[in-house]
Amino acid sequence: MANSRRNVGSRNRRLGLVLTAGVAGMLGLAFASVPLYQLFCQVTGYGGTPRTEVARSELTGARGDGQMIRVMFDANVNKRLEWQFDAPSGERAVEPGVESLAVYTAKNIGDRPIVGTATFNVTPVKAAQYVAKMECFCFTEQKLEAGQEMPMPVSFFIDPAILDDPNTQDVHDIVLSYTFHPSVEATAALDAERETGGS
Amino acid sequence: MAYGAAEHHDDHHNPTGWRRWMMSTNHKDIGTMYLIIAMIASLIGGAMSWYIRLELAEPGIQYIDDFQFYNVLVTAHGFLMVFFVVMPAMIGGFGNWFVPLMIGAPDMAFPRLNNISLWLTAAALIMLVLAGLTGGGPGTGWTVYPPLSSIDFHPDAAVDFAILSLHLAGAASILGAINFIVTIFNMRAPGMTIHRMPLFVWAILVTAFLLLLALPVLAGALTMLLTDRNFGTNFFNVAGGGDPLLWQHLFWFFGHPEVYIIIIPAFGIVSQIVSTFSNKPVFGYLGMAYAMSAIGVVGFVVWAHHMFMTGLGADARAYFTAATMVIAVPTGVKIFSWLATMWGGSIDFKAPMLWAFGFIFLFVVGGVTGVALANAGLDYVFHDTYFVVAHFHYVMAIAAIFAMFGGFLYWLPKMSGKMYHEGFAQLQFWVFFIGVNVLFFPQHFSGMAGMPRRIPDYPDAYYGWNFVSSIGAAITVVGTFMFFVLVWQALRSGAKAEANPWGEGATTLEWQVPSPAPFHTFEDQPDMTGKAPAE
Amino acid sequence: MIKRFALFAITAMTGLAVAAGEALAQQYRSEPWQMWFQTPRSPSAERINEFHNLVFFVEAAIVIFVLALMAYITIRFTKKRNPVPSKTTHNTLLEVIWTGVPILILVVIAVPSLKLLYYVDAHPDPDMTIKVIGNQWYWSYEYPDHGEIAFDSILIPEEDLQPGQPRLLTVDNPLVVPANTNIRVLQTSNDVIHNWAVPALMLKLDNTPGRVNETWFNIKDEGTYYGMCSELCGVNHGFMPIQVEAVSQAEFEAWVTRAQEQFAENGDIPDIYAVLEEIENNDNRLAQLAE
Repeated sequence: MANSRRNVGSRNRRLGLVLTAGVAGMLGLAFASVPLYQLFCQVTGYGGTPRTEVARSELTGARGDGQMIRVMFDANVNKRLEWQFDAPSGERAVEPGVESLAVYTAKNIGDRPIVGTATFNVTPVKAAQYVAKMECFCFTEQKLEAGQEMPMPVSFFIDPAILDDPNTQDVHDIVLSYTFHPSVEATAALDAERETGGS
Repeated sequence: MAYGAAEHHDDHHNPTGWRRWMMSTNHKDIGTMYLIIAMIASLIGGAMSWYIRLELAEPGIQYIDDFQFYNVLVTAHGFLMVFFVVMPAMIGGFGNWFVPLMIGAPDMAFPRLNNISLWLTAAALIMLVLAGLTGGGPGTGWTVYPPLSSIDFHPDAAVDFAILSLHLAGAASILGAINFIVTIFNMRAPGMTIHRMPLFVWAILVTAFLLLLALPVLAGALTMLLTDRNFGTNFFNVAGGGDPLLWQHLFWFFGHPEVYIIIIPAFGIVSQIVSTFSNKPVFGYLGMAYAMSAIGVVGFVVWAHHMFMTGLGADARAYFTAATMVIAVPTGVKIFSWLATMWGGSIDFKAPMLWAFGFIFLFVVGGVTGVALANAGLDYVFHDTYFVVAHFHYVMAIAAIFAMFGGFLYWLPKMSGKMYHEGFAQLQFWVFFIGVNVLFFPQHFSGMAGMPRRIPDYPDAYYGWNFVSSIGAAITVVGTFMFFVLVWQALRSGAKAEANPWGEGATTLEWQVPSPAPFHTFEDQPDMTGKAPAE
Repeated sequence: MIKRFALFAITAMTGLAVAAGEALAQQYRSEPWQMWFQTPRSPSAERINEFHNLVFFVEAAIVIFVLALMAYITIRFTKKRNPVPSKTTHNTLLEVIWTGVPILILVVIAVPSLKLLYYVDAHPDPDMTIKVIGNQWYWSYEYPDHGEIAFDSILIPEEDLQPGQPRLLTVDNPLVVPANTNIRVLQTSNDVIHNWAVPALMLKLDNTPGRVNETWFNIKDEGTYYGMCSELCGVNHGFMPIQVEAVSQAEFEAWVTRAQEQFAENGDIPDIYAVLEEIENNDNRLAQLAE
């Protein structure tokens, strides 16, 4: 009797450990989801993520069938960043497979230098996987001195495969959006200032 | 047939006084304390919802002119009811009390771990109360979406306390889940095969697996939110390269299984009650058991139906629409199997059976609105309206409470050795049943007309149905009060209960020990070999 | 109690007042005791409504069927009527049916559901674009193709309301758009997550900071449309309504011309109702001259 109970005890501990390992695994998976989610978005264009840092060699050139995609440029600035950020106005007809250059302008209207960083996405989201950015101001942080104005170029092309994908047959208009935020360090500095200045 | 009645081994000490309760390793005492925690939390959470309904009874601001406080009420009501009422009562309370009894085990596999789970839950409850009292309180909704829950928009420590509270409650539940799985796998009486276990044990087993897989993900996400708030990480901070949508994915990866964690134990309770009072074995036992398992599995791959309006692509929404609708099939199997169990039965409509009957009605109404909500195309109208509030209260919240009331009355004789007052219990059922329907049914109308959730005041057009809804709330408050009177009366002057007060229909093992169940039961496990299967 | 009845009466009367003030603009919002959707007034909304009719029919049929079974069970299988219970616990045919039939019903729902989903998702070529930006706790609107007009749209407090203006729904500057036009909507947020929703158009989409979401609408009827923020966004979440003024193409152009001038001059936006009234007066004068 006592013997069999000890057996149960050790079986219990073993199963308990296996289950604990399962818990640890799920916890690990939760943290692993952070890079996995990012990777998933980049690979599939999920959530409107365009392809970034695409090599020039991938440019296919025009197909020459005259089909165009209209592209609109959109600019946003987070409230906490004292910048003016303007998009090239109007829509532009872009031929898939051909490089396009769009130049945004950013101006620091505050009274101190500050580093900004831009997030971006493409709508409609299903078109994002066909938008390839070769160079973009959004790949790195940007620093503007007080009052400084700077052109913010982005060079991109639209993959001609968009014309063949049955899913994107209705897509004739694409929007490239950017939002400038104060960089993490800049935010920390702003917070520190608010705390000391606010008292 | 009184297993354990005279088996008072001397190697077991029976602690008394505060030691018996504070340091308890006894599954019955721990179960009782879980039930007490749930009752206390239900009074706080219920009072909050009553206050919300008072505010919403008329257009304009009546009582709550601090809207942050209103948001805190909404948030805390959700947290309390989910983590500190339904889960402790169903899993901690009934699970601890009856899983060992139903499988013929002397106790849980890890009794001391069980004690830790209990007190972690109590600590979590205290932590949540602290969160509500800190600064402006957590006004984020129970979903705690960043950036609203970030340090920029909730600068005081309230959200941190809420996160820590969920961490503690989560740890308690994970430990409890491990304990239940080990108990159910290793401690069954000889002959009590997996396919002979009562459906309540099946329900707790499936629930424990859901807890085990879902809660660590919440724990991970909460940790990221905590470090985002306090240590400068950028998991969800968009300026630092994070993504607030990632939080939503992680939260709902936990959050959707969480609603099944709440309702699957209710399935188990309802199955026991329906079978007992129909005086018939459960119809389609295997189908019932595997339907619960299927609901649990599919529950992990439907989470983004909570995120249809976040800008997901059409393909993703199409998948989550289809996957979500699949859940209707196993839930349909359960409904029809309960009906078939009753069909041809010899039904005794005692109070627990009324609650089970009421549960089926609520679950069907909430279930069909769930099928509507599963369609991403319809969420353009339904998302974030009172229609959703009506849906989840019907299918999950009130349905779970019906199962809890039913289970409580069903097992009260076993837990306390006393019978409740049948007539008063039936009256209490009808008051509560009418109350919740008057309370929640009109919210379908408000929602369809376009009234958003989580607002302290509403355009005048929504007055009518909100007023009716608040009247329903008043009736529900009376019904709740009557429940406590019912319990008090039973404990104080209830008739003495027999070992099996329910007659031939009550076939599970807990009815073979005396009422109240002795401190130690099944020290020598009953041999179930060759006995009639649980179905 | 008296106060309550008075409030009911007032709610009913504002309904009448709205009807009387119709010359200004038809208001599309919910009515007292409304139990159903608002009348759909865009092509997407019409399809959503149509699909919901199907789903509702199925829902009602299921609930009635189960209730009928429960009623029969309550009457027929009581302890008194049926003292000896049957011992049946299996019926394979029955179990196959109640698994198979729900699957069929779900397929009947899923096919039109997915069609609808892809219909709403396929944006037609836009005639114009507007931007909707969520803030704690008001909306900002921008017209990127109309000379960068931009303005905030803020709730009018109860004490400043004019007769006929609904409480908690009226803003100082409504979004002005032409009816019968494909309008592309770009949505984002300046702080936390908001959700821009107009029930009569069955529009609803999150405004998420750092990302832009896109939707579209085409309003069939001129008039005033109302909505409310539909994602918990903090203290005044319940107090950032959406008001959309759908006008004719000519009226929209008149308003835009005026808005561009005023906006360039001092950042102000002309009151759309004043513009509409002026146009009406002009038309009347022209009509008189013609006579």
